[in-house]
Amino acid sequence: MAPAVGTGRWLAAGRELLAARELTLNLVRRDLKVRHRGTFLGMLWSLTTPLLIVGLYYFIFTFILRTSPAVDHPRPDGQNVPFAVYFFCGLTLWNLFANSVGASTDSVVGAAYLLHKVYFPRAILPMATVGSATVTFAFELSVLVVITTLTVGLPSLHILWVPLIVVIVVVLAFGLSLLLSAVTVFLRDVSHFVGVAMQLWFWGTPIIYSLQYVGDRGAFIKLLQLNPMTGCVVAFRNVVLLNRAPDYRLLAYDAVAAVIALGAGAWVFGRWQKVFSEVV
Amino acid sequence: MAESGPAIACRGVWKSYRIYHQRSHTLKEKILSRRNLYEDFWALRGIDLEVHRGTTMGIIGTNGSGKSTLLKTMARILTPNRGSLEVHGRMSPLLELGTGFHPELTGRENVYLGSSLLGQSRKQVDARYDEIVDFAGIESFMDSPVKNYSSGMYARLAFAVAISVDPEILLVDEVLSVGDEGFQVRCHQRMAELRENGATVVVVSHSLATVRALCSQVAWIDAGTVRCVGPAGEVVGNYLDSVHEGLLPTEAANGDTDRTGGRALTGAACVLDVSVRTVHGQPATSIHTGDAITISILATAPEALHDVSCGIAIHRGDDSTLVFGQNTHEADCPVVIDGDTRIEFAIHHLPLRPGAHTLTVALHDHRVNTIYDWHDKRYALLVRSDSGRTGAGAVHIDGDWRVAPATPVQAASA
Repeated sequence: MAPAVGTGRWLAAGRELLAARELTLNLVRRDLKVRHRGTFLGMLWSLTTPLLIVGLYYFIFTFILRTSPAVDHPRPDGQNVPFAVYFFCGLTLWNLFANSVGASTDSVVGAAYLLHKVYFPRAILPMATVGSATVTFAFELSVLVVITTLTVGLPSLHILWVPLIVVIVVVLAFGLSLLLSAVTVFLRDVSHFVGVAMQLWFWGTPIIYSLQYVGDRGAFIKLLQLNPMTGCVVAFRNVVLLNRAPDYRLLAYDAVAAVIALGAGAWVFGRWQKVFSEVV
Repeated sequence: MAESGPAIACRGVWKSYRIYHQRSHTLKEKILSRRNLYEDFWALRGIDLEVHRGTTMGIIGTNGSGKSTLLKTMARILTPNRGSLEVHGRMSPLLELGTGFHPELTGRENVYLGSSLLGQSRKQVDARYDEIVDFAGIESFMDSPVKNYSSGMYARLAFAVAISVDPEILLVDEVLSVGDEGFQVRCHQRMAELRENGATVVVVSHSLATVRALCSQVAWIDAGTVRCVGPAGEVVGNYLDSVHEGLLPTEAANGDTDRTGGRALTGAACVLDVSVRTVHGQPATSIHTGDAITISILATAPEALHDVSCGIAIHRGDDSTLVFGQNTHEADCPVVIDGDTRIEFAIHHLPLRPGAHTLTVALHDHRVNTIYDWHDKRYALLVRSDSGRTGAGAVHIDGDWRVAPATPVQAASA
């Protein structure tokens, strides 16, 4: 516990987090178990919910809105992509991000009873919320792959990009979670603000529409591309649904943005975590 | 990790709490109230303490002396404002039973979750799982959610988890002493086992008997400082000796902010020490009715404080009747506290009759609007009964009985 400086301090924090991985996994397990405890289907809900959502979107977009297939680019094999699947694909990745960030505001404040009684690296609290969102995402992803295979055909090798895209989203979400969970300790308003902000962010990300839909309004597209989730969602759809390579430039920008978010979040969290147990 | 050297080393540890008069949590409150009204209360004032590897150290002191804050600081739950803390070894804090238990989870799941919060690895829990279930004696309920447990079952499981921990450093708060006798015996056995295996144990307790039985070393914490540290018998003896000085910090006192009318203490001045002395300046070893004694108060202030008045109050120990109270302002004795300052109240003939009394010492401004420090009934004033004086009541009123034949009025006029 000698006061370390500079990179040494960051390394020490990383090592401490690594050492607490078992506790983190236990907290993720607790989150998931508690969420499904007492329900008849239990963990099956993680599969059932996305299936029901796809079914709902399929019904709406096929019979009510009758939207024509709208994609960023056509698949190389010319296969049409149903809009419900297209939408579900972007939504899956968005849910990973939104569930992580949305739950993060409560992660430290809600663990007051632990903060007062035992020491552990405080950052594992937002880490555990991101972790349980990632597990839920894994279920949705498997549903997505099955549905894609059934409706538009087998995915190509481009799907190997998925882990990298997920890592970028997880890093971005974790960075924001660190920041928001720390700020919420001192300012409870944040959780309300985050709810509204995530709605706005959803519409600022091409999930229900494609960048092509925005058309040739270049400035507007540039603005949308500033949103680090844009590149991720577009790339995710490219590799899962459209059998295309991701937009490397955009993905690289997102990766940089995610690392900056992580750095900023870790900095704020690291500065404030010492007094969490006294304030919450 | 070197084999020698302390397992825990506190070096000049200071810890303050912010006492908020009104804490603002929302943006609106933060903007509307220009500033957060708070004052710092120093719970630890420069603690230097080393706990050596393999020793069992007891921490004793009155309520509000800072011993629990010290334990939490050692557990790294609180971060010192000043000074440093070094901990060498895997540490498990037992500050309550069932830390982290979730009502929706089963007994088995809670055993793993609770243990990992206490710093145990999955392997360690696997190895001890049967022992835990065995001790809790609730095999058939391990797969039901703990919310369905009776409070007895819950306590047994929580306790079984607590004593299953196998750390290099164990921090125990006295909350563990709430269990029944079986728990206590098992708890002490387990601590003895850990000690034999070379673990370092720190115990906070009010029970001097427990401390003397369990601990090789004892630290006496008083008003946020280490008053005395050394072999258990010696320190507990010193602590008890304060009885013979006529002053024992009372164990029933409920913290510093009690009886201050909700007014939080400010740190502008504080009482460091209170003692009762004879006219010769020696500590009064026993006090009797009619004695000449001096109540000597050592106060300090970081900056010269002029609007200050020192008050004392004496209450009866049995029913808390106020026997006497006065402050320096009422007595027209001007007080300035600048650095360490000694304030004395000389009593020429102690009028208190034999019995237990409590002494309150306070520092406040002249109008008693701002409380600087308030030691409510913190000191016991024992007046001994072997004074040879007789009578009844709270105080001895000095007077002489006279008897003479009454002169008949009629006789005079006749």
